[in-house]
Amino acid sequence: MAMDKEELKRKIMEFMEKKSGAKSKVYLKDMQRAIPDASPRDIKKAANELVQEGKLEYFSTGSTVMYGIPGKGQPVEQKG
Amino acid sequence: MADKIYEEIQNTQLDEIYSKPYDPELAEKLFNPQKPMENRITDIGPPHYAQFFPPEIKKNYGKWKSHEIVQPGVIKYTSETGDVVYAVRVGTPRLITSDYIREVCDIADKYCGGYVRWTTRNNIEFHVTDEEKLRALLDDLKSRKHPGGSYKFPVGGTGASVTNIVHTQGWIHCHTPAIDASGVVKSVMDELFEYFGSHKLPAQVRVALACCLNMCGAVHCSDIAILGIHRKPPLIEDDRLQYVCEIPLVVAACPLGAIKPATVEINGEKKKTVRVNKERCMFCGNCYTMCPAMPLADHEGDGIAILVGGKISNRISPPKFSKLVIPYLPNEPPRWPTVVKTVKKILETYAQHARKYERLGEWAERIGWEKFFELCEIPFTDKSIDDYRLAYDTYRTSLHFKFTSHVEPM
Amino acid sequence: MADIKKHDTPTVDELKSGPWPSFVDDIYSYAEKHQKQSCFDLMGQLELSYKHKETHWKHGGIVGVFGYGGGVIGRYSDQQEKFPAIWAFHTIRVNQPASKWYHTSLLRKLCEMWDHRGSGLFNFHGSTGDAVLLGTVTEQLEPVFFDLTHQFNMDLGGSGSNLRTPSCCVGKARCEWSCLDTQAICYDLTMTYQDELHRPAFPYKFKFKISGCPNDCVAAIARADCSIIGTWIDDIQIDQEAVRAYVGGELKPNAGAHSDRDWGPFDIQKEVIDLCPTQCMYWDEKEKKLYINNKECNRCMHCINVMPEALRPGKETGATILMGAKAPILEGAQLSTVIVPFMRMEPPYDTLKELIDKVWDFWMENGKNRERVGEIMQRVGLNRFITDILGLKPIPQHVREPRSNPYVFWKEEEVPGGWERDLAEFRKRHPA
Ligand code: HEM
Ligand code: HEM
Ligand code: HEM
Ligand code: HEM
Ligand code: SF4
Ligand code: SF4
Ligand code: SF4
Ligand code: SF4
Repeated sequence: MAMDKEELKRKIMEFMEKKSGAKSKVYLKDMQRAIPDASPRDIKKAANELVQEGKLEYFSTGSTVMYGIPGKGQPVEQKG
Repeated sequence: MADKIYEEIQNTQLDEIYSKPYDPELAEKLFNPQKPMENRITDIGPPHYAQFFPPEIKKNYGKWKSHEIVQPGVIKYTSETGDVVYAVRVGTPRLITSDYIREVCDIADKYCGGYVRWTTRNNIEFHVTDEEKLRALLDDLKSRKHPGGSYKFPVGGTGASVTNIVHTQGWIHCHTPAIDASGVVKSVMDELFEYFGSHKLPAQVRVALACCLNMCGAVHCSDIAILGIHRKPPLIEDDRLQYVCEIPLVVAACPLGAIKPATVEINGEKKKTVRVNKERCMFCGNCYTMCPAMPLADHEGDGIAILVGGKISNRISPPKFSKLVIPYLPNEPPRWPTVVKTVKKILETYAQHARKYERLGEWAERIGWEKFFELCEIPFTDKSIDDYRLAYDTYRTSLHFKFTSHVEPM
Repeated sequence: MADIKKHDTPTVDELKSGPWPSFVDDIYSYAEKHQKQSCFDLMGQLELSYKHKETHWKHGGIVGVFGYGGGVIGRYSDQQEKFPAIWAFHTIRVNQPASKWYHTSLLRKLCEMWDHRGSGLFNFHGSTGDAVLLGTVTEQLEPVFFDLTHQFNMDLGGSGSNLRTPSCCVGKARCEWSCLDTQAICYDLTMTYQDELHRPAFPYKFKFKISGCPNDCVAAIARADCSIIGTWIDDIQIDQEAVRAYVGGELKPNAGAHSDRDWGPFDIQKEVIDLCPTQCMYWDEKEKKLYINNKECNRCMHCINVMPEALRPGKETGATILMGAKAPILEGAQLSTVIVPFMRMEPPYDTLKELIDKVWDFWMENGKNRERVGEIMQRVGLNRFITDILGLKPIPQHVREPRSNPYVFWKEEEVPGGWERDLAEFRKRHPA
């Protein structure tokens, strides 16, 4: 029941949009929990492709990495 | 199969790209912020290691027969082919400038055909093949000093010595340190300098420093570990927090779940903020990482813990963790006199009492930790009794102990 | 150039004296020569930290260059008015060549690039092994990356919840004890897992470290989620002639490591035979011959370390694979646990990679956020991890000793008749 990649990307973005009101950054794990019928590796690949496409961005917590939608919530760059 | 690797190593040549001059304008020509993927090269990995092997290392790969430390800091390797290589080990502060690296290059070009290597413990190794060059190299290294008088390239760090301290970033670069790193290391190494360039100790002594309990260096398994610690929970700037941080992220950042969302009223205005369960906080700084309105550092609270007796090597006894013997020493820039004195005292007590080949932890276990505290004149406190997870492993559940000065008959 | 602003740093300046190389002198000499404002500002901020006894850095969310989820650590000064040249001072982790050999042509060019695009300061090296470029502003990150890839054939290392940059000891390049081609393994793993190295893949970080023998010079057993440590399965090679030379005092014990103190004449009985942890050695004084009962030896390296001219690891070499080391946060520190006592290590290392894939699949599926492999091993139990997840046979080498409690979680299928019982039948035998 492998999901088609575009479908998976759509689901990830849907999840991210829904989430971003309350909490703008999520872990890979959170995506995996939200989309249980896709394999962790496929989700990882799709999410990383979304970053390449500029639809998502990475966000560092110091020792781990989260995903966010560019421009939403806490900014990656903290000037001032 | 091993032959195939040998062959591959022989056939790997130094990449010509390094002899092309650096073009400071190329990147701006290639990188287009509007089309970030244009001209982008990714996932090429590191350059192949073998192109940086000096010829004698390449040729004798896998053929080494034995070695001898001919003097502190100089190891002579002999190959089955009869070839000989001397490795000269020098200490560095790890935090170095490009001019320092250029000086390393000058030396490597002059004596070593342009090849040089760094070790796991931030030492540099220069390789020469004959004794004449070795003497000249050693003299040269000794003559190079900074304006303030410190050696640029002290030779040592082999055998039964105190080799270079592995350490972290401290106030030079990190946002969660309790202490500086480079300054403490400099102060301790200045005091232990004679042990770096000699073989006087019963065995090698590895000292390491980490500036907070995240411990980015290899500290927990060191003979002597210097560890920065915080002792106060983060401050919370209620009036600013909601504007600079995302509260769910801050809550999620705490590894102990000690942070809860909260609302406060400031001048009649409701503000969203957080509260920290202070009893639960382990002072890790993860909250400050996510939220600049929760600073952790504190000039009174922060200080240094000393852990001793760890080791990595499997030699004689298995690898061990370091044990917390001093829970807190004051943070004293620029020269940290209390820490320096304490480390030296532990080192020299060990040097005086331990047997040949015995690592610090093996010595402490042989004589008993109660004896270790007595000999090193370290006061034993409740903080050395574990109350974290799996604590019971360290409780004494036998009658095998010694009557040291700690025991007051009841 | 004209308006370079220097700061008074009397406290920091105290670190110029003393014999150990002074980073303060180095940085100031460099700053003066190149008129680097960022270096002056860095020293100014350090002075302030020395005075306040508190750091003046803030963290930032930046993780890498475009498309990379690691390799960059974002830093911002909390004193940007005072020290504008270090308002941002990010580090870039550059994947080092395996075992850290360099040629000066690379180093000189790298210095030139970093003078131009950054502070001119380096950490050589970071504790995971990367060559660290210390301090630049956000606008320079992409140009540095383009320079590295186009002009150096170099790439970034790992950070965050990525695979971290693998590292290894000097191995066969210069050590006669190495049982592994440490660089070749390190390089192969690094190249195989480029995607995992550059983009987040896991619940938390994952590290490989490779040491050629049980001396473990890169501290693999304490620092790596997967520790690959060289070992041998046959007999220690003995050169009896050389043993006699040690006993006769012609060769220095431990290759001269104890040369500056008088420990008395070398005593093979006391210094080798009696210290052998398995008591598997015998020195025949009459025959002048050393015997090792290799079946009992646990390969601790002590005798080899003491008599390097006489003894060498065996010829049938491979690796012990251990897993799960981690720093104390959160569940307490762990050393790696033996998973495979002996694995032959030949390219392309498929056996190892299959094992790694199994671990990663399980961890990606079941790991919690920020859960290290060592922690999930504890959570599911080493026994289940070995048998159910890796499909390996449990053997005594996996434990130091058997458990001392009888609380075994039997599975239903292991018990005859299963767990579904007939209450009526029971009550026939035992009236209530
Ligand atoms: C041929 C002999 C050896 C070679 C070529 C060798 C090489 C090295 C090198 C290059 C380093 C990094 C060193 C530094 O920066 O100072 C190192 C570290 C180390 N070596 Fe060795 N070594 C040898 C023998 C030994 C012996 C005899 C032991 C133990 C008894 C040992 C245990 C270690 C340990 C524990 C470290 C420190 C690892 C760390 O904490 O980073 N090595 N070795
Ligand atoms: C009982 C106490 C400790 C235990 C059991 C312990 C155990 C460990 C283990 C298993 C690792 C591997 C970590 C990893 O790869 O994430 C580690 C890493 C580390 N530990 Fe500890 N540790 C202890 C105390 C300390 C202390 C007190 C320090 C500092 C003074 C320290 C500093 C470090 C550092 C810096 C690392 C990272 C090593 C690297 O560069 O990969 N540890 N520790
Ligand atoms: C939860 C635990 C940890 C956190 C939150 C953490 C956080 C950080 C941060 C914020 C930095 C950046 C320092 C700077 O450049 O300003 C850093 C650097 C680094 N960390 Fe960690 N760290 C953790 C554990 C570890 C461990 C266990 C290791 C190694 C086993 C490690 C290895 C490194 C290395 C190699 C660096 C590069 C700088 C250096 O070498 O000093 N970290 N870490
Ligand atoms: C589930 C675990 C255990 C339970 C429920 C249990 C229960 C008991 C009970 C009820 C007795 C008293 C028997 C009697 O006098 O009627 C007893 C005695 C004893 N148990 Fe256990 N036990 C357990 C595990 C162990 C273990 C693991 C050991 C040893 C390692 C142990 C060693 C003993 C000994 C030596 C006695 C005899 C004490 C004496 O009368 O001298 N028990 N146990
Ligand atoms: S040990 Fe702590 S304070 Fe030091 S560099 Fe690592 S995270 Fe920062
Ligand atoms: S310092 Fe660490 S433990 Fe304490 S509240 Fe912050 S995140 Fe939690
Ligand atoms: S780990 Fe073993 S093989 Fe590697 S350098 Fe150290 S002593 Fe040599
Ligand atoms: S390697 Fe260690 S266990 Fe084996 S014979 Fe030598 S001293 Fe004994």
